[in-house]
Amino acid sequence: MVDVVWSATETEAETGLTIASDNIFVKDSLFSEPGLIEHIAQSAAAFAGYGTFARGESPKLGYIGEIKDCIINCLPEVGSELRTHIQLVIEVGSIRLIKAEVRVGEKIAATCQMKIFLKDD
Amino acid sequence: MEKQELIEKVNSVLAEEFEVEESIITPEANIKTTLQLDSLSLVDMVALIESEFGVKILPADLAKVQTFEALYDYLAERV
Repeated sequence: MVDVVWSATETEAETGLTIASDNIFVKDSLFSEPGLIEHIAQSAAAFAGYGTFARGESPKLGYIGEIKDCIINCLPEVGSELRTHIQLVIEVGSIRLIKAEVRVGEKIAATCQMKIFLKDD
Repeated sequence: MEKQELIEKVNSVLAEEFEVEESIITPEANIKTTLQLDSLSLVDMVALIESEFGVKILPADLAKVQTFEALYDYLAERV
């Protein structure tokens, strides 16, 4: 559930998603809480995937290890364009701690921290 | 930062973050056992140390920093 990766560096990335009416996480024309979290997780995956791709490595399997401090301010409507910023806070071994902020226009729809466990081949 | 001041700050921020009594944090105690850290909360500790002291515990060094004493020494050399 990531339409586009607007930008990506070693420490941060920006992704986008337009909420389609047939999105599995849409309920009553609103993009639900699990959808926001899944979008953040897939944005983090795209971010990690970019890194391995840039280094010429094969992408790794990733798992959500922990979701923390998740705050959801609003549920975006169908047709909304999400803009999500992912920041790598720290990487310890094969665990990445990321911070995510999802915006709809100027409004912050959701923020959270996530620990992604990257499985070595 | 004086070493004693450093020790007191380390103990205070760790005790607060991981919700343990400062009294159980003793120099020879094992960090993971004392703070009941698993692999995920270990990441929190490394992130906390980096944000509070501006010191990044390198992955290669993490294996050597097993006790609070080792952590104090590691930070004292870098702060």
